Amino acid sequence: MSRATGFYYRRRRVTDVFAKTLGVAATAFGLFWLFWILLVTLNNGMHALTPAIFTQTTPPPGGEGGLANALVGSFEMSLLGVLIGAPLGIAAGTYLSEFAERHPAWRETIRFVNDILLSAPSIVLGLFVYTLAVRSVGHFSGWSGAIALALIVLPVVVRTTDETLRLVPNVMREAALSLGIPRWKVTVQVLYRAAAPGILTGVLLGLARISGETAPLLFTALNNQFWAPSLNAPTSSVPVVVFQFAMSPYDSWHALAWAGAFIVTVFILLLSVATRAYLLRNRFDAAA
Amino acid sequence: MNKIADDPVLTDATRTKISVRELDFYYRDYHALKSINLDIPERKITAIIGPSGCGKSTLLRVFNRIYSAYAGLEATGEVLLDGENILASGYSLNRLRTRVGMVFQKAVPFPLSIYENVAYGLRHHLKLPRVQLDECIEQALRESALWNEVKDKLNSSALSLSGGQQQRLCIARAVALRPQVLLLDEPTSALDPIATGRIEQLLNELQNDFTIIIVTHNMQQAARVSAYTAYMFLGQMIEFGTTADLFTRPQRRQTEDYITGRFG
Repeated sequence: MSRATGFYYRRRRVTDVFAKTLGVAATAFGLFWLFWILLVTLNNGMHALTPAIFTQTTPPPGGEGGLANALVGSFEMSLLGVLIGAPLGIAAGTYLSEFAERHPAWRETIRFVNDILLSAPSIVLGLFVYTLAVRSVGHFSGWSGAIALALIVLPVVVRTTDETLRLVPNVMREAALSLGIPRWKVTVQVLYRAAAPGILTGVLLGLARISGETAPLLFTALNNQFWAPSLNAPTSSVPVVVFQFAMSPYDSWHALAWAGAFIVTVFILLLSVATRAYLLRNRFDAAA
Repeated sequence: MNKIADDPVLTDATRTKISVRELDFYYRDYHALKSINLDIPERKITAIIGPSGCGKSTLLRVFNRIYSAYAGLEATGEVLLDGENILASGYSLNRLRTRVGMVFQKAVPFPLSIYENVAYGLRHHLKLPRVQLDECIEQALRESALWNEVKDKLNSSALSLSGGQQQRLCIARAVALRPQVLLLDEPTSALDPIATGRIEQLLNELQNDFTIIIVTHNMQQAARVSAYTAYMFLGQMIEFGTTADLFTRPQRRQTEDYITGRFG
């Protein structure tokens, strides 16, 4: 009996060690590439970072310059993308979670379609906006770029709003309704407050995602070597500049591409860390 | 079997606040309440007891029609509040809910300050000047025996309160609107004995101003706090009477089996 126990015990120990090793190895394998990419980007980007990056526009082939126009273009289009996409997404997510209960088939259809939009290749969205907002007006523009980015933000925000609102316990809805307060007011004043950290996370995740997007801008905002006079004209953006410059044979363009990659990476990293920190702080507040 | 109207227990000076007449309730195809008849006396505590799934919470949720927030739920029959049928389509839900307040099993304060939690309903229904609002809130917090513990931190988050305090805050939130009826759905089942004791004491004081209906699965609690008790089983009202009668001289075999612990 004791020998049998010993055998099974040892077999469990071996299995345990084997599974743990495999798990750690798989994690290390994944993290290795991630850190390598990060390290190379940070290393090369750091070296290419000069004050001129923020003050001068993108140079002609072989020349010296900066990324100022691309940074401003990216900032404008990402901000506009979030400003268009987030309110629509929050409204649609709220509808799905709070007001669609009496139409379950309709609700599930919208959720399904939204999930398709969420996983649609971003270049397809770029082509869609190209036919919609570029061909119809006859020229590339920053606006069409912002619309393409908004279409990427939209499903992310719909999903996170829907999901975080559904996490709010039903009894909170009932408690507010039982005070004789109409449903829309309960939603805006109580439920949004309870779900705010989750909704904000969705918006920030959307922003993080679009600030590195290249494909949807290729057919919409195109690029611009100089300052765009307005968002009605082709507008440059950091990811598109990185794409263009990295493929070029010029060393000065390569350096700028590294600098652009560095800035975008650090921005997304900081945004993710800040979001996490905010969420964690909120969780502790609620638990306290 | 449900000739409550002729029941001698209600022939004393107490007035009927809510009359339930032939009430049926359906969760889609499931028949959850079966021709319920019941008279709830005014300014008394009425307890509804019965095993899990007997329909006691469902019945309570008819009294402020909170069930109507969900699709597919339907009540038929009559529920008369001061003689007016609250199930009638013309009866305003928001008006009903200012007259019938509710406290739930789980204390869920809104993610607002202690002050704003109690002020929330008042702000919506009445546009009171600040001084009067302050008074209403102090009164509600005093009535729910919470004032002394929170008066110095009215602006802190309601989530910083203990479980028992949160439940008393939910009671304050409900009584702040001066409802006539207060519904409590197992209000102490998530609380420790000390917090439970405080709430029970509080209910005892509140019955001077409010008609209280409490659903509980704790028979001792029903015996301790209520003047009247209703026993439900499988969606039917089995017996209703004064708490003393129901627990010492139950008229029906099923009631006796339940309260003596032979069943349930």
